Amino acid sequence: MTQTIAASTPRPKAGGRMKTRGKLIDFAIDVFLFCFSILMILPLVFLVSNAFKTPEEIVAWPPRIIPSDPTLENFRSVLADTPLPLWIFNSVAFSTLSMVAIVMTSAIAGYVLAKFPFRSLNIIFILILATAIVPFEVYMIPLYFQAQALGVLNSLWGLLLGYLVMSFGIFLIRQNVMHSIPDELLEAARIDGAGEFWIFWRIVLPLLRGALGALAVLAFFQAWTSFAWPMIVTTTRNSYTIEVGLALFQTGFTVDLGRLSAASAAVLVPSITLFVILRRNFVQGVASTGMKE
Amino acid sequence: MASVDIQDVRKFYGQLETIKGVTVDVPDGAFVVLVGPSGCGKSTLLRMIAGLEDISGGTISIGGRVINDVEPKHRDIAMVFQNYALYPHMTIAENMGFSLRLAKRPKDEIDQRVREAAAILGLSDYLDRYPRQLSGGQRQRVAMGRAIVRNPQVFLFDEPLSNLDAKLRVQMRAELKDIHARLKTTTVYVTHDQIEAMTMADRIVVMRDGIVEQVGAPLDLYDRPNNTFVASFIGSPSMNLLPGLLTNGGRSVRVESGAELPLEGAPPAAGKVIYGIRPEHLHLAADGEGFEAVATNVEPTGSETLVQVRVGEQIVSAQLRDRVHIRAGDTVRLGVQAAKAHLFDAETSQRLG
Repeated sequence: MTQTIAASTPRPKAGGRMKTRGKLIDFAIDVFLFCFSILMILPLVFLVSNAFKTPEEIVAWPPRIIPSDPTLENFRSVLADTPLPLWIFNSVAFSTLSMVAIVMTSAIAGYVLAKFPFRSLNIIFILILATAIVPFEVYMIPLYFQAQALGVLNSLWGLLLGYLVMSFGIFLIRQNVMHSIPDELLEAARIDGAGEFWIFWRIVLPLLRGALGALAVLAFFQAWTSFAWPMIVTTTRNSYTIEVGLALFQTGFTVDLGRLSAASAAVLVPSITLFVILRRNFVQGVASTGMKE
Repeated sequence: MASVDIQDVRKFYGQLETIKGVTVDVPDGAFVVLVGPSGCGKSTLLRMIAGLEDISGGTISIGGRVINDVEPKHRDIAMVFQNYALYPHMTIAENMGFSLRLAKRPKDEIDQRVREAAAILGLSDYLDRYPRQLSGGQRQRVAMGRAIVRNPQVFLFDEPLSNLDAKLRVQMRAELKDIHARLKTTTVYVTHDQIEAMTMADRIVVMRDGIVEQVGAPLDLYDRPNNTFVASFIGSPSMNLLPGLLTNGGRSVRVESGAELPLEGAPPAAGKVIYGIRPEHLHLAADGEGFEAVATNVEPTGSETLVQVRVGEQIVSAQLRDRVHIRAGDTVRLGVQAAKAHLFDAETSQRLG
């Protein structure tokens, strides 16, 4: 009996040691992740901080996070000298319309490709996927000539020309439909008396909310951060998007850091807002690939 | 309610013919079960009745109206699927009232009919919940509720109990039967489970490889199977089928092991036959009677004992009512109820006599 007790007594100690070790490892992981996240966020913090600094302080060493002499001069100058609000509007309009178009085309095409068993659709799907491997730079110039022929240069429609359909979006939605919407659900709806459009609108779309949310965020930022196409399709100052506008602060030899920071900080606001709103959908859609019961 | 008339129906997938001229008559108000092994075409046939598969040849009529080219929604049928097919983003009430909403029925009427169906199925407390919040059995009931609410001419069930555990399946079987007795709606039910077919059907259609092997009342199929396939498919444990030769002027069959198994009534032909006997028609016999065999497996279930014995190269099952003390390896002597024996032609597998 005593032996048994003696044999069993070290166990809690071992367990305790294990626990302490586990806690230490957890703590180390936390510290590492904390440092890493600080490292990731630091440039952003400096961007915002620089926006409030004088030109001298920006280049001062060591750099300070909180400006010693905060100023709104950069913002005032940016807003006075450049049509920044118009650029932001152009970007928001371009990104939003592109997002809506991509979500719509991807939802329809992805659903049709996943659920309608025609052999020709497989070929179309392969062609759509194939377009993803052609770099934009390859068809940028032909697309420019098309935009020119259509007379849509320097306009929102010109910007949208290459941003209405996203092959990855079609692929994402197709996979999602295949995984999360069983055929029986659509068949049940057909027997219940629903038409094809009704099924798409009332059954398929609500079930794809997560994936479409994720796609919406991806599509929005794709347009928001696009540079090459807006750069060549817009040539007038008022038709620039924010990305093109921001590039104006850099010339071949100088960078106007204060004003660039101020403009960039102002530009961050809409994108962060959108991400916060759609964060839940984004994480769900990407992480769970929309698997449902 | 209406009858369903299936006349020489065929289904081709390219060159492959999966339904090979099936003719089945489902009378008004009947509960007909299509049963058969996987790939026999039973689900395809049901989906053709529903309008989810095109009909390559023949006709299907519901209530005397040929519906070959009629859209599923205009066939006045309701279907219950194996995986329930409930709309995950709609409440139980919305799921059940979905078809009525599409038919633009007044809201009061939808509410009333949903409540009535929910009361029949014991779902009244769950109407505001979502499918994911219900158990498998409850979900299956909702699927049935969705069918009942429509008050269709024909119910179609595609293996509706396959996803449930054994206990719940028995319970739902009884509930389904009860609902049919109450509503008397013509029902076509597909299953691969012959016990489900036996316990629920007014009439069973046994299918294999796209053809109908036999149609009949459950006990008719059990007592007089048309061929060895039906004989072995219907009944659990399945019928023992022993190849042999008619001897003794047709009064017995000598099977491969040399044992003589008795027959009653003169068989119409001589020569090679297959002797069929159900496990419950074998009993422990006294010396000098029946045949000797070595027990290979003994499964006592409490109410009965299932003994498997080796007869020549074949395993024969015997279902013994009594508590017997046999162990694997023991030699036992089994007797046969000659009046219950079945005889099949060895070449065509068809019933003799």
